[in-house]
Amino acid sequence: MLGIDTCLAEVMSIPGALDAMLVDHTSGMAVAFSAADGVDADRSAAALTEALRATTDGLARSCPGEVVRIDDMLVTTDKGHHLLRLLETVFEGPLVIYVRLDLERSNLALARYRLRAISGELAT
Amino acid sequence: MSKLDTLLAGLARERSTGALQVGRSGTIFLADGRVTYMECAQTPSVERLLAARGLTTETALRRLRADGGCERLLAEGPVTPGELQYAVLGGVLDAAFFLLPVSGTRPKFRPGERHWLGGQWFFDVPGLVRECARRRAQLARIWPSADVDTLPVRPLARLPGHGVTLSRVQWEVVVRADHKATPPELAKQIGRPAYPVLVAVRRLAASGLLAAPDLPNRRAATAARPPHDPGAAAQPLGPPVTGDPTDLALLMRLKKALEELS
Repeated sequence: MLGIDTCLAEVMSIPGALDAMLVDHTSGMAVAFSAADGVDADRSAAALTEALRATTDGLARSCPGEVVRIDDMLVTTDKGHHLLRLLETVFEGPLVIYVRLDLERSNLALARYRLRAISGELAT
Repeated sequence: MSKLDTLLAGLARERSTGALQVGRSGTIFLADGRVTYMECAQTPSVERLLAARGLTTETALRRLRADGGCERLLAEGPVTPGELQYAVLGGVLDAAFFLLPVSGTRPKFRPGERHWLGGQWFFDVPGLVRECARRRAQLARIWPSADVDTLPVRPLARLPGHGVTLSRVQWEVVVRADHKATPPELAKQIGRPAYPVLVAVRRLAASGLLAAPDLPNRRAATAARPPHDPGAAAQPLGPPVTGDPTDLALLMRLKKALEELS
């Protein structure tokens, strides 16, 4: 079973991981983040939260009659992959795990698999 | 900086350990100058939130508090260490949002006292104050009027349109709203921290889904006589001046709509 800090270390051990961050989806606050140079974690967390909210809103309209529940979201840029995983917690929630992956050195399928395993250990 | 902030900053500088009681509003627990736990009368406690999720009961938690504490709570396993940390983190920030602006009471410091759920997460005082300010700014961006935070939540009986999407917390607010409960009261009923409920209510207000607040009708008294009646009150020169909060809310909505257009 993982704590918040150990969870971040686990995420960073995913092959190809460059940066990781834990975000509180309700307030858009960066709960914990790996310190990389030039990263504005607070703003990034707030903006990514908005992106997730907008995506949920868009999906709710594009899948009429369904209740939308996002498991993860992937954005690929010319430099790398950005993976966001939403994690239901017993308390508040959801907690979002964000990881930035190197385009060349990462294996997307493996990263998704590891992220799912880590979420399973962070929350019951 | 409010008085409570200054006092806390002082305690942090001296690396104090103990509990700061803020009248009846709440208590702030510090260890070695960092905040470890905070409770506020307006927000549900972490114990309450854990119980609301059906994982354990408040009685069981009281028993653990007296015997075994956090280690036993984690060992018995209704929550993982990560979840407990996240719960305390959310609970403290929620309490701080309502407790830090409190003024008018003389806080009392009891050295050495600790909270049984403290020690999960350590907050430095400036960081806590900064996060509260960020949350306040976030609320203002969603909907600028703070009236809806303290008035009873009254969703419209009919939707002014064909469809709308609601978030999970908004759904819970709409289902529970009895037109009497204020957002913090609803948060306690739902078993969620108060801040997410404030966010949900402000978003409902911004989407125009809440009924206008009841305000004393000030025009009724003067409108009784037609203006040409000699007994009528003198008409003010120029455009009518209103300081009516409903007009203010309307202006804010217009401003927001215009901003979205551009």
